Amino acid sequence: MIKLENVSFKYENAYVFENLSLTVKDGEKVGIIGESGCGKSTLLKMIAGLNIPTSEEINVDGEKDPEGIIKKVSVVMQSPMLLPLSIIDNITMGHDHDEERIEKIIEAANLKKWTDSLPDGLNTYLGDRADELSGGQAQRIAIARAMFKDAGILLLDEPTSALDGENAASVLEAINRFTSDKTVIHVTHRREHLNGYDRIFMMKDGKLIEA
Amino acid sequence: MSVLLILIKRNKFWVAFSVLAALLSNLSQMFFANLIGKLVNNIESRSAITLSFIITAACFIVSNAFTLLLNQYVGRLTAEKMAHSLRMGYAKKLLERSLKEKYTLDTASAMSIAQNELSQANTYLSNTFFDITGMLFMAFLATVFLLFKNVFLTLVFLIPTFLILIYVFFSSRSLSGIVSKAQNEKNRMNKVAYSVIHAFYSVKIFGGEKLSMKAYNESFESWKKQWQKMGRRSALYNTLSGIMSMIPLLILLLVGALMVIRGDILLGTLIVFLYLQSSLTSAIMNLPNWLANFKVFTTNLSRIDIS
Ligand SMILES: Nc1ncnc2c1ncn2[C@@H]1O[C@H](COP(=O)(O)OP(=O)(O)OP(=O)(O)O)[C@@H](O)[C@H]1O
Ligand SMILES: [Mg+2]
Repeated sequence: MIKLENVSFKYENAYVFENLSLTVKDGEKVGIIGESGCGKSTLLKMIAGLNIPTSEEINVDGEKDPEGIIKKVSVVMQSPMLLPLSIIDNITMGHDHDEERIEKIIEAANLKKWTDSLPDGLNTYLGDRADELSGGQAQRIAIARAMFKDAGILLLDEPTSALDGENAASVLEAINRFTSDKTVIHVTHRREHLNGYDRIFMMKDGKLIEA
Repeated sequence: MSVLLILIKRNKFWVAFSVLAALLSNLSQMFFANLIGKLVNNIESRSAITLSFIITAACFIVSNAFTLLLNQYVGRLTAEKMAHSLRMGYAKKLLERSLKEKYTLDTASAMSIAQNELSQANTYLSNTFFDITGMLFMAFLATVFLLFKNVFLTLVFLIPTFLILIYVFFSSRSLSGIVSKAQNEKNRMNKVAYSVIHAFYSVKIFGGEKLSMKAYNESFESWKKQWQKMGRRSALYNTLSGIMSMIPLLILLLVGALMVIRGDILLGTLIVFLYLQSSLTSAIMNLPNWLANFKVFTTNLSRIDIS
């Protein structure tokens, strides 16, 4: 369960939100929409333990400490942030993995066609290919990475913004399949991506309004 | 087209001006050396030193100072102009890219390039590039000048010099491969460091600390290996070329002294030869080092896209 009670957050002087509350039950799927710059990413980072609230506390699956929270969540950030290592290293981040599961994830993230076409496949080194990698490919690697971590809570910040309609639809469908028993908070500009979600919030003026 | 050529083309006026300034300065120094030679000859033949001779010498002293100043000033300015073209060219190229298609690893490498390759190339341009080209230019002009004075005596030191040059070029070629590899490893290491800083959040969320450290250590190890190899090789080559660069000087001294004793040339002429030949000696002595640094420079440049 995720529980924010009267949390506030500011970067420099201006508060992005004040006294914001949100409770998300286990297994619930929650969508957040709202104008650009209203604070959606800021909120998501807070739930991930990356932004520390300036007042009150947050509770994510019983964890209050950022170092503890971070272990409970998996995140697809608005920008992918990859390392100049191989594709597989970027997905597993150096953790042990079994081939079968990786294969499933690669397929779900719509990466298979592309990685199969590479001479080195999943071992392709990304560092030298920086200019060849498209935003969509990078984003799908980030999605595969989030799936691989297999945490109980998945936070998505416009995970398919760089994908075309068809790609986005199939990746989202796969994400939904992967997360059927997980808690999901999904930030997006496109409401149609939130079909079948339990609750949808609109973020405005530092408040969350159920839409 | 190579980045260096683009830089020269974009600053052709300044490059031409600095070549001209270097030419003037070098010519002035050579004629002054020639004058000193004449003075020695006059003393040797015990003929009188005229007033016009003294005035000419004074003029050359002033001209030496002035052209040297001009040369340095224009050289530095040109170097700064080129460094500016490089920076702005890179920034412009980045701005032209479409944002949507760029993902963040690329931003990290852009940062890394700006902080490392670009700043090193700029430092080289500002501090070293024109000094080196100036010295090589002087060595070339001095040789041409001496050829006009006495072909035989020039060939006496020029032929062994050429043999040494061939050696230097071949040894530098094997060195430059290593240098370029070492520089690429260094750039890679920097890129890893920048990417890890850039992707800090992802590293934390996905527990990639160990992987990041491993990647950094690996890139550090492979850089270190190349760097040590480069150090050993360049020390060897520099020592050898340093020793060899003395050979033409010794031959010149031997043959020149014989010619003076036989009365073929005057002592002043030999002094001019010894003085100007030293610019060639020092150029050769430093050539492997220069070529290695130049290779680092062009390796850095090749990663900065400004076209
Ligand atoms: N690191 C930061 N330092 C200072 N201000 C920031 C920082 N990150 C975001 N902001 C500001 O906080 C506000 C909320 O930003 P945030 O990224 O959360 O918006 P968003 O709703 O995710 O927007 P978008 O839909 O464009 O992604 C914005 O006004 C932004 O300028
Ligand atoms: Mg955002």
